[in-house]
Amino acid sequence: MAMFEQMRANVGKLLKGIDRYNPENLATLERYVETQAKENAYDLEANLAVLKLYQFNPAFFQTTVTAQILLKALTNLPHTDFTLCKCMIDQAHQEERPIRQILYLGDLLETCHFQAFWQALDENMDLLEGITGFEDSVRKFICHVVGITYQHIDRWLLAEMLGDLTDNQLKVWMSKYGWSADESGQIFICSQEESIKPKNIVEKIDFDSVSSIMASSQ
Amino acid sequence: AGLPVRPDRRRVLLPLSPAGLWSVVAMSYPADDYESEAAYDPYAYPGDYDMHTGDPKQDLAYERQYEQQTYQVIPEVIKNFIQYFHKTVSDLIDQKVYELQASRVSSDVIDQKVYEIQDIYENSWTKLTERFFKNTPWPEAEAIAPQVGNDAVFLILYKELYYRHIYAKVSGGPSLEQRFESYYNYCNLFNYILSKSHFCPGVVLGHPTPEPDSSVGKKEVLWCTVLGWEIMKGALAPLRQANFCLRPDFLVISTDADGPAPLELPNQWLWDIIDEFIYQFQSFSQYRCKTAKKSEEEIDFLRSNPKIWNVHSVLNVLHSLVDKSNINRQLEVYTSGGDPESVAGEYGRHSLYKMLGYFSLVGLLRLHSLLGDYYQAIKVLENIELNKKDAIRVFANILLYIQRTKSMFQRTTYKYEMINKQNEQMHALLAIALTMYPMRIDESIHLQLREKYGDKMLRMQKGDPQVYEELFSYACPKFLSPVVPNYDNVHPNYHKEPFLQQLKVFSDEVQQQAQLSTIRSFLKLYTTMPVAKLAGFLDLTEQEFRIQLLVFKHKMKNLVWTSGISALDGEFQSASEVDFYIDKDMIHIADTKVARRYGDFFIRQIHKFEELNRTLKKMGQRP
Repeated sequence: MAMFEQMRANVGKLLKGIDRYNPENLATLERYVETQAKENAYDLEANLAVLKLYQFNPAFFQTTVTAQILLKALTNLPHTDFTLCKCMIDQAHQEERPIRQILYLGDLLETCHFQAFWQALDENMDLLEGITGFEDSVRKFICHVVGITYQHIDRWLLAEMLGDLTDNQLKVWMSKYGWSADESGQIFICSQEESIKPKNIVEKIDFDSVSSIMASSQ
Repeated sequence: AGLPVRPDRRRVLLPLSPAGLWSVVAMSYPADDYESEAAYDPYAYPGDYDMHTGDPKQDLAYERQYEQQTYQVIPEVIKNFIQYFHKTVSDLIDQKVYELQASRVSSDVIDQKVYEIQDIYENSWTKLTERFFKNTPWPEAEAIAPQVGNDAVFLILYKELYYRHIYAKVSGGPSLEQRFESYYNYCNLFNYILSKSHFCPGVVLGHPTPEPDSSVGKKEVLWCTVLGWEIMKGALAPLRQANFCLRPDFLVISTDADGPAPLELPNQWLWDIIDEFIYQFQSFSQYRCKTAKKSEEEIDFLRSNPKIWNVHSVLNVLHSLVDKSNINRQLEVYTSGGDPESVAGEYGRHSLYKMLGYFSLVGLLRLHSLLGDYYQAIKVLENIELNKKDAIRVFANILLYIQRTKSMFQRTTYKYEMINKQNEQMHALLAIALTMYPMRIDESIHLQLREKYGDKMLRMQKGDPQVYEELFSYACPKFLSPVVPNYDNVHPNYHKEPFLQQLKVFSDEVQQQAQLSTIRSFLKLYTTMPVAKLAGFLDLTEQEFRIQLLVFKHKMKNLVWTSGISALDGEFQSASEVDFYIDKDMIHIADTKVARRYGDFFIRQIHKFEELNRTLKKMGQRP
């Protein structure tokens, strides 16, 4: 994390005011993206600034950097960073390799096709070169979605969604979130029924709003 | 008596006729030369000094000829109006100079003058336009210049209105040359306001050989623009020969003078300046992409002037206005209950700078949206006390406001049309938002929406992507590319590409949520059921259905602002009325039923009725 922290303050200055549009800063910002990838750190604003500079100066566009930015954005799901990035990459570039592949992976994640995601990732492992901690970040997202959806989930289903984890690996994730296993092969997530209950919102009319009417009626 | 001599050391602005370039060389002088300053007063009528070639006979003849051609044709009413307009502005500037010397920010006199200018701006100008220049341009600045003593600042302001009118009303819109000239006029205006920090001091000019015909040698004029990093060069001669008349109207020579510009304008005008500046940028960005119908000349001109209306200039202007006014600091201090004056700084204390700074923030929001950078767009407004609610609530509030104030609109037609159009666009966007994320909103707006878009919303619920695209296309901003096109190779639909790009991102999102509407309607029907069974009803495999349920949960939880300055922070919350959880192989559904607010509705109607009754009684009492 050392390099990232060092760079962060400096980069912050570059992003102030009109300086963020100065293409001479691009090299520093690109190095910053690479540092984020290596050290499993993340800075959305700086990455969007890179995409913006590419937008203004198409000659400087770099596919590798853009690919890294997109992959890092995926690690921040459920935030909408990935979508924000897509808005700033033009169509022609979106069709190039490996950007096209990454967009496909993103689509699988957004539509919660987790099993398909792991399969597709397997076929494109080279995409992750230089990016630390990608898979675990994705698993965090998957656990988030599971956490808001399930009360009890089948053990095998959870393992599958997390990328065909072994028993031991699964235990690690379960303990991270405080999920416990029961005898029947189910995992207990949390007591959803506490928070998800049918509600009936009834209109309340207070006396004040009616009093003036009652007063003036004859 | 009268006003003291204005040792305005800030800036020398000279209106230049083509022949006038020559004399400016003689006028560039070092900063502290007070004597020559006293002799030259930019705000006075040109009694004391000669602005032409130096050959009086030639200049007089030139003037006469020009005047005869154009000035005589102007209606008397207009001439008088312009005279009055000029006098008011001139008086205001005089007064402001006076106040500045006394370090005062404002006064009753200034307020009065601004009020008069506002009346001219909002009423007189509009009425006269309606009457005399409905679809034609106002007189050219050159034609009225002598009448207003070649007052540089006034002419800049006049031209701002002049070009804006051409964009809005003159059929065919502005020519390439006019777009060009309008851009330079804005450069001059912002240069004037923003002062020397963005200039290169001591502008050097090439001097032309003053020959009356067009076969002049190549001239190079160094321009200082607000860009700050660069100096522009423009070659004049070839253009003139090609019948493009590019006259640099103002050249700025900076002196060491500093301090705020002695100007105040009504807020409405300031807002319109920023608004129009961005609009003309948008218009040009799209215009230059459409090369099919352009002449070789025009394309050559575009190619050799890539800096016109370039995005960096626009950004620089807006950022500079924001910085100069310290508006962000002012807003920060204001929202925390302090006195913004304490951080406003030398410029920001003055209303002109403060308001321009504030409006520039909104201008940046708009610019970033046009370029597809929504994150920056929202970030820019960090300090403005927005109601940081979600889109649906914002739209509903605005539409309600418009609905209730509709009767109060008797303004100029173009503003009314614009508000109407945006009203419609907001309805379209609200329709999309509500389909994807059903929520309760105000009954009357909901009614209006169902009337306008009832069947479209139905089709969207069924997942029809075409309707989504149609409404999005209707309501979205006119997205732009900031990049100069390659004029040699522009295909016909190039100008649409930025829009198509944003449309694709939107369509992808719609696609991802395609099944959710149907699933939602099924969820509303049941409370508890085996997952497999409900999957069957929806004609999905159990696996696919479970996946869709995950998507439902994922998409319904959005970042909602809870506290703090930035509208970009927040917690994930779900405002969906229908919620559920999966327990082993059962799905448990929780619906929120909100009872209709009959009581509230009746109370309001009763009050209205009583009001009506009282009014009728009063009327009945008159003989």
